[in-house]
Amino acid sequence: MTPPATPWSALHAALAAGGAATAQTLIDAGLRGRGGGGFLTGEKWRTTASSESDRRYAVANAYESDPAVFANRLLVEKNALGVVEGLAIAALSVGAREAFIGIRAEYSDAIRALEAVVASAERDGILGPNVVGSGRELLIRVVPLQGSSMIGEETVLLKALAGKRGQPEQTPPYPSSVGYLGKPTAVNNVATLAAVPWILSNGAAAFRQIGDPAEPGTVLVQVSGSVANAGVLEVPTGTPLAEILAVAGGAASGATIKALLVGGPSGGFVPTQLLASTPYSGAGLATVGAHIGSGALLAVDGSVSIPELAAMLTRWCADEACGKTIPCRIGTRRLAEIGQRFVDGLAGPDDGERLHALAADVADSALCAHERLTPSPLLTGMRYFKQEFYPAGVAQSGGAVAGRSS
Amino acid sequence: MALTLTRFFQPKKTVMYPEAKPDIPPRNRGRLELVTDERGTLKCETCFQCAQACPIECIDMGGVDTKGRYAVHWGPAEQYAERREESAMRRSGRTVSDAAAAQESSIDLGAVEAALERVDYDPHHMLQILESVQRAYGYLPVDALKRISRATGAWYAMVYGTATFYKHLTFEPGRNRTIAVCRCANCLVAGAGRVINTLSFEFGTEFGQAIPWSNLRLEALATHLPDAPSPLVVIDGEPQRELSSRNAESWAAALAGRYAA
Repeated sequence: MTPPATPWSALHAALAAGGAATAQTLIDAGLRGRGGGGFLTGEKWRTTASSESDRRYAVANAYESDPAVFANRLLVEKNALGVVEGLAIAALSVGAREAFIGIRAEYSDAIRALEAVVASAERDGILGPNVVGSGRELLIRVVPLQGSSMIGEETVLLKALAGKRGQPEQTPPYPSSVGYLGKPTAVNNVATLAAVPWILSNGAAAFRQIGDPAEPGTVLVQVSGSVANAGVLEVPTGTPLAEILAVAGGAASGATIKALLVGGPSGGFVPTQLLASTPYSGAGLATVGAHIGSGALLAVDGSVSIPELAAMLTRWCADEACGKTIPCRIGTRRLAEIGQRFVDGLAGPDDGERLHALAADVADSALCAHERLTPSPLLTGMRYFKQEFYPAGVAQSGGAVAGRSS
Repeated sequence: MALTLTRFFQPKKTVMYPEAKPDIPPRNRGRLELVTDERGTLKCETCFQCAQACPIECIDMGGVDTKGRYAVHWGPAEQYAERREESAMRRSGRTVSDAAAAQESSIDLGAVEAALERVDYDPHHMLQILESVQRAYGYLPVDALKRISRATGAWYAMVYGTATFYKHLTFEPGRNRTIAVCRCANCLVAGAGRVINTLSFEFGTEFGQAIPWSNLRLEALATHLPDAPSPLVVIDGEPQRELSSRNAESWAAALAGRYAA
């Protein structure tokens, strides 16, 4: 998150090395996309550069979908230079002459910071019609976007940039071959791009030393809920969840944490007994049913009812669905309703089974991550906190419809 | 008489339907016919959906409104000069003449022209165009959308599709007053769900809908404001700090008194 020590030196290095060598350095470093997909960034750039086309684009995704998650906003406000430099390197490596930064319109400070960096770089001749005297052209435009939380998805972001209805496209073809206006486009999260100048300055081997060897680097996490010191932390990947929680000061006074909600509104609940053994990495979280997502960690204390929270989160996801696939538009709503029946104590004996079957169908038909991950809170809640979904005395299967008496 | 006698001795062509059935080729669809309603009026509205669906493009039609009934002809409609309306012509793939598209607008479209000029009539900047039009008028007038469609060359359906998707764009004037409830994970833990249930019950509305007795609308907050408490309820951009999940009922009752129409 710290800005580069010598601004634009990585850009000079990348221009001297050429696009293919830069992409190879990133592959050697093992940098993976921070937006959730987890693709090798260098691989993505290489595909974009090798796609047959008359023009290519590079896009930085600074649109944080989840409500009240500020990790990327903080990153852009503190390190706008690193983001713009990373995007410039990406654009020059894939052979793009135009690049965009899609950002939430509410982030006015971050937008101002980005625009200031771009304007001063153009004034100094670093960006613009002749990038640091290399004769190549690069125009970077900051595009404020708003109006739907789906814009964070990469194909939706490209649609929004092109002024179209924000609904995702089926992948493959990935944006690296068919993207903005149908041209090859390298779409990267700002957190990924901010890591690029560091790698080019310090070398791929140094980057590989940090964190989990399978997906090296650092990630930004936002810890909130009932913890002593809520805020945004930068941690190496693979840090156990318990350690992150300890850095955030542990439980707030008088509270007992019973679970962490990892990954925002479509994240998974991780119970306390698994916190020490679960590393904060894509693969580690997938085994417990959670994901990195927006980088949000919510500490849930004993006063919170897991079914109620899970049902509300699913309802939010259902309301935000763009409506392109029917299992997402209607299925997620039914999921939220089944969850609400558990909250109200009106769940029938088959509702647990129905929830799992519907969740599997919704996830299987998914066009984008939003639909694929929407069932996570209910599913992980069911898996780890079954006793809250089925209070004592309620039959799980067979017999009449069970109701809670109180 | 000679013909009668010849036919008389030839084999009979009559088939004793339905006991015996003639041999019909498998692809025979019989005579294409339009369906009429019980009063004998044609139901066809020349919507062109059948013409569009027809894989070998053998269907085409035209129709005119004669005394409240549609007289429908088979065949290219241009020869009767009777395509009915602009949208039907678009659907059947015909170009629309300028005379049909250029209609007098009831509002001053100066702001629309300025917005279009700023982005050089480029339909890829549709969101910027729509946002500046909404800033100028407070909402998106239909005439403005038509003008945008004609000036940029983007189909009206696409302009409309973009305008309806993004939640900050609106077609209703005077929707500036909102009660917005944040649904971020923190607010949900702090009881935003119960606040939403209480407010929609007390106001007699659904979440995301207008409140019948006032000019307010109960809706979701796009993003949590910094340094705001949880659960967060915002009226016209003003965070309501005295509200919690416990006093939501009395708070709603007090609000009802203040905003009654």
